[in-house]
Amino acid sequence: MGDTQWPVYEVFLQEKRGDPHVHVGAVHAPDPEMALLLAKEQFVRRGRCISLWVVPAEAIYASRAEEAEELFASALEKEYREPRGFRVTERVRRWMERHGQSLPEAE
Amino acid sequence: MASPSPKPNETVALPDPLREAVGQLLLAMADDEVLLGHRDSEWVGHAPILEADIAMASIAQDEIGHAVLWYSLLQELGWPDPDRMAYFRDPPEFRNATLVELPKGDWAFTIVRQFLFDFAEKVRLEALMASAWTPLAEAAAKVRREETYHLMHSRAWVLRLGDATEESHRRMQAALEQAWPHALGLFEPAPGEILRVEAGIQPPEAELRARWEAEVRPILEAASLRIPEAEPVYGGRHGRHTEHLDALLADFQMVARSGLGETW
Amino acid sequence: MLMYRIHGQAVPVPEQAPPPQEGPEYEARLAEFEARIARGEKIEPTDWMPEEYRRQLIRMISQHAHSEIVGMLPEGKWIPHAPTLRRKLILIAKVQDEGGHGQLLYRAAETLGITREEMIEALLAGKAKYSVVFNYPTPTWADVAAIGLLIDGAAVVNQLMLAQGSYGPYARAMKRICYEESFHIKQGYDAFVALATGTPAQRQMMQEAVNRWWYPALMLFGPPDRDSVHTPTLLRWRIKTKTNDELRQEFVDQYAPMVLRLGLTIPDPNLRYNPETGHWQFSEPDWEEFWRVIRGDGPCNAERMAARRRAHEEGRWVREALAAKAAQRTNGGGNGRYAVAGL
Repeated sequence: MGDTQWPVYEVFLQEKRGDPHVHVGAVHAPDPEMALLLAKEQFVRRGRCISLWVVPAEAIYASRAEEAEELFASALEKEYREPRGFRVTERVRRWMERHGQSLPEAE
Repeated sequence: MASPSPKPNETVALPDPLREAVGQLLLAMADDEVLLGHRDSEWVGHAPILEADIAMASIAQDEIGHAVLWYSLLQELGWPDPDRMAYFRDPPEFRNATLVELPKGDWAFTIVRQFLFDFAEKVRLEALMASAWTPLAEAAAKVRREETYHLMHSRAWVLRLGDATEESHRRMQAALEQAWPHALGLFEPAPGEILRVEAGIQPPEAELRARWEAEVRPILEAASLRIPEAEPVYGGRHGRHTEHLDALLADFQMVARSGLGETW
Repeated sequence: MLMYRIHGQAVPVPEQAPPPQEGPEYEARLAEFEARIARGEKIEPTDWMPEEYRRQLIRMISQHAHSEIVGMLPEGKWIPHAPTLRRKLILIAKVQDEGGHGQLLYRAAETLGITREEMIEALLAGKAKYSVVFNYPTPTWADVAAIGLLIDGAAVVNQLMLAQGSYGPYARAMKRICYEESFHIKQGYDAFVALATGTPAQRQMMQEAVNRWWYPALMLFGPPDRDSVHTPTLLRWRIKTKTNDELRQEFVDQYAPMVLRLGLTIPDPNLRYNPETGHWQFSEPDWEEFWRVIRGDGPCNAERMAARRRAHEEGRWVREALAAKAAQRTNGGGNGRYAVAGL
């Protein structure tokens, strides 16, 4: 038969102020404006939304699965970049115990 | 069902000749919405593409939802409840414009009818937001918000289909020829207009029509569509309808009037 | 090159020839793939997967999508006749959701390298299957209530299982769908109870609809395990996590009491609760009929396909017009308003 398949637009939805836009799915639409109008009905029939983005799917470049393991690998010695790499609180507590240090009472 | 539920200290009651006159306006608005919603819902499962099917189903729900709101306001004024109104009146008791009773036709007709109706509703609601009768003004403001999407939706479709291909243009032009005179019928004054205008309930229909034309003409022209010279089809607001309403109501009321039960 | 396009074409375009489907390299990849599934991890579209996994998923997801789309018809028929404004609104919303579910499912299938257009063409050409239950007629309003309770109930039992499946996009679509389906069952049960507790005529109408829909509901789970050729593979790769017969039993245990509690009967003389097993015993549907209907010889196969083809044909000019219009526009892509809320 052969027909016209409308292109795909990926849809990103922001539920409330302060939230990030989150990928919720995609619609087939002839152009961006229609994509937005059609996405509204497919993804905001229920629930909240304060902002919607549509992005042509073909504009998305993605990392390759085969390379993901190496590409996103994080070596052990980079622990210094993680907050959990620092055990400060515990060291302070131990010092306080050893020196009998306590906090002056708040007035 | 969502009913406007007026605040206790707000007076819903209206003195009698005015009550009847306001009732006629609400009746026209409610009947327009419920029948258009019904016609739109006939596309569910049959639209040109899945996404359009989903969007049309929302519009159908919105229109029927608005009808319930107007019927509920009528009920406050002493008319029967919304289901009674929708399911247990005969064609001559309906006060809708003939535009909304016409069969769903092709997608072009559905889009053109919806477009003409949405903008008529827009100018009407914007006028009614200033109505002297508070319950009406408040309900109009509520419905107006939901219309924003409808306006974008039908405008976007008209602007695209109007001159996209030879076929789409031909279909859209034919749809406009058919719908336009009936759309003018949306502004046929319902009985009691003088009373309503004097009481500040609404501006005259002729004024609404002028505002409507100012909105729709530029869009239709931008879509390369020619606006027909035609006399309005009047009668709907006085209960005179096309044969299509009989068929529509036979479908609509079939189960409710089957006599098999009272509650469903 | 680090990055490559995956969405430009629906098929992820491999830069080399597709990896072999046998030999040591294949075995190693398969072992890795199966270990990932065994750990309970999801498979994502860009991951390596055996062709058979891809093929089975496309088959299942597209059938599922077709079922949603064709499933709009038997109930949609009653939208014009819904007996109250509330029921009319609910039914429009429900059938709309089914369209929405079809849309999500087609999209999930598209991540596997098939286009929605190809799937729809296959459906319209009579080459694709959909759930047999939608080839049964809906002669009365009570059928809407029966579908709402029994067919949607069965669908949810099935879909809650599928939401646990191994393919990420399918499982994600299922999660969203199950959420909306819970509204469908509620409204179905509500309409069901309205009729079952109504006038004698309404009760009778409801009973007759239950008689029509009980066995189709059992059929929804597919053929018995002994005849289901796909089941072992599907289970191994966690495309399914329970067998057809297990799901069928779960459904009967949950839904038979809901019907019986209202004093209605189920058209199965063998149906009874077995206190020893804690399960309901029941008769299997007529599998001869099941295969006949699957092959296209059901009461409504022709009608359903004719309706879908008509909608597709009548909508063609619309799809073409908008595509042509989009091609005319100088399309720079975004409107630069992404930071501005609003359409």
